[in-house]
Parts: sequence; structure tokens; C-alpha cells
Amino acid sequence: MGQASSKKITAQDDAILSMKIQRDKLQQYQKKIKHVTARETEVAKECLRRGDKKKALVALRRKKYQESLLAKTDAQLEQLEILVNDVEFARVQKDVMYGLQQGTSVLKQIHREMGGVEGVEKLLADNEEARLYQKEVNDLLAGRMSNQDEDEVEDELEALEREMNPIKDEPISHPELPDAPAQEPERRESQKERWERRAREQREQREPQEPLLA
Amino acid sequence: MAQAAPQTGALEPPSTATPFQFPGYYSFPPFFTAQPNLVTRAAQHQKWSLLIQAYCRHNRIFVLSLIDALNSPLFHNAALNRRLSLNDAREVLNWMASEPGGNRAEWIGGTGKAKTGAEKVWVYWRRPEEWASVLEGWVDGTGQKGSVLTLWELVEGEATASQEFHGMDMDLLQKSLQVLVKRGKAQIFGQEDSLGVKFF
Repeated sequence: MGQASSKKITAQDDAILSMKIQRDKLQQYQKKIKHVTARETEVAKECLRRGDKKKALVALRRKKYQESLLAKTDAQLEQLEILVNDVEFARVQKDVMYGLQQGTSVLKQIHREMGGVEGVEKLLADNEEARLYQKEVNDLLAGRMSNQDEDEVEDELEALEREMNPIKDEPISHPELPDAPAQEPERRESQKERWERRAREQREQREPQEPLLA
Repeated sequence: MAQAAPQTGALEPPSTATPFQFPGYYSFPPFFTAQPNLVTRAAQHQKWSLLIQAYCRHNRIFVLSLIDALNSPLFHNAALNRRLSLNDAREVLNWMASEPGGNRAEWIGGTGKAKTGAEKVWVYWRRPEEWASVLEGWVDGTGQKGSVLTLWELVEGEATASQEFHGMDMDLLQKSLQVLVKRGKAQIFGQEDSLGVKFF
């Protein structure tokens, strides 16, 4: 799949392999020694059975010598294995370092694209300016609308609402008359009340923005 | 015929501690004689194939030496005093090596299409590509992708003692690894007698 480039055997791989091969050879050697010692024991037993003490002693001495070799190879094997593990761990560390490096450089690049701290400050200042300007425009437009215009707008809204929900007005044709309302029907606002409400609403509409500007 | 389905036990590593349980048809004398009826013969081949695979799996035999096998319990039922003849054994193995036999065997050496003269045969109770998957699964499961392993430690090392491929024939191991190499999942490197493999 064309990934050959990332899948190359490096000199490090070769070095690790030769260490591991060496380890394998030691293990094979140990197997051989264990086999030899077992055989020498057999030989010693056989000699004793025949009453040849001298030969049995020689065989046991040979066995002893082989066992000392085994102990030595054990130590070597341990060293080799520690080395192999160290090398492999160092490789992992290298990979981690590489990853960290990549991440850091990406982070730096993104920061550079953002234009640094000054850039961000300038952007925020621009943003606030634009919003202030928008508010000014809003205020101007709202101020230009006379109360009478607003009255007409609201009346129209009410008319539209009635038109869209005509069912509410129909119960007259119903054979059973509905109960008398328990609550006092909603009173239509007087014009003065309406103006006051609108002024209040406009104030409220503007106020929640204030803390944002601060 | 529950015993005729050795494939079902594929997940457990075979053990040599217990003796191999021969299937029922092993005690059936005509089983050891080539059947003249073609349909019966095909069924006979099938059964022999299953038996050989199960036997080799149990005893972890990767390469079967034909002459030795003829005297082993596999082809020689001492209780019945029946044995499969050399020619019939060859025929069974030829069938196993063929397409209808599922390529469950492969002759080593030999000449011509009939592989005459070949004395040893791979018994693929797992085919190389199946071994490749097993190896890949093991490498994956033990997190050894990207690390270097020697071929010797794969089949003889202590880390693989409980694995099915432990003690595997070195040539078969290389065949199986070649499958992974072709798929780009591994690379074999090193000297002739000290090969290593790196998995990706």
C-alpha cells in the first residue's frame, strides 16, 4: 500500500536484532549445558553402580564445572536483556519526544496565525467598537418611531393574531353556552398605559446589554 | 460424529500431555483400505484428512515423514492389526494437497505433478496464511508492533510457550511470515541463520 518508506529496517533494528540473537544463543547454550549436566549425573550414577568411584568423581566435577558456566551465562543473559530493554525504552522515549515536538510546533504555528496577544486585544477592541456603533444605530432608529406608529404596529399585530386564531371567537354558535368567566376579563390597555409599557420594554431591552459592554 | 470435527477445538492450544483420542471410524477396518466406490472414496479421503490434521495438531507435528508415519499409530492401528499402505497414504496426502482437499498438505521436494519420491509433507492443520493471522494476532495482543523479534524466540522463546505456534517448524514459520511480508505487515531481515522480524 505504498507505506514502504515508514516501514524500513533501520540500523537500530539491526542492532537490536543482533543483541536478541546473542540472547537466543545464550539461551540455546544454557539448554545444552543443562542437558550435559543431566548426562554427567547419569554417568556418575552409572559409575557408582559399577563401583568406579574415581570416574564418578570426575563426572561430578565436570558437572560442577558446567554448572558454574551456567551461572556465568545467567549473569550475561541478564545483562543482555537489561540492555535490550533499555534500548527499546529509549526508542519509546524518542517517539514521545518527537510527538511532543510536533505538538509544540503546531501550537506555536496556530498562535502565530492568531497574531499574538496584541492581535487578540486589537480584535476585541474592534469588536466592542462595532457593537457600540450598532447600539447607537438602534437607538437612533427606535427614537425616530413615534408612539402613534408603534400603536398602529401593535394594533396590526393584534388583528393578525385574531385572524390566525379565529376559533376562540366562535363559541357563540355553540348550543351550550359557556360558563361565565370566573376572572375579570382582560382589560384593554389605555393609550397612556401602552406608552408607559413600551418605554419600559425598550429600557429593558437595552439594559441587559450593558454588563457585556463593561 | 463429534470426534470428526477437530476444527472446533482450534482455539485451545493442543496438548501432548493426554494421548490422542482417535475417532470412531479409526476402529472401522475398511477405513484402512482404499474404497472402490468413488463416492465412498471421497468420504474416506475427507475422514483421513480430518484424522491426519487432528493427529498432527494434537502432537504438534508440522512436517510428516511418510515412512515414519506409516508405522505410527496414525496409519497403523495396532489393535485392529490394520495399516494404510504406502500408496494409499500417498493418495490421501495427494488429495489433501489438492484444491478439493483444501490445500491441507504440501509435499516437500519430489518431482512432477504427483510429487513422486517426496518423503516429507507439510500437514497444514493451519495453512501458512492462517498461521500468519495467528502470529499477527499474538503480536497485536502483546503490543509488540514495531519491535524486533528473532525467529528463534518466536517459536522457542519462553514468551510463546503457551502459544500454538510454539515449537513450529522454522521453514513453516518463514512461509507464514512471508504472507505477512507480502501484506506489508512485517519485514524479515538479518543473516541467514540469525533472522529477525519486525512487525508493523
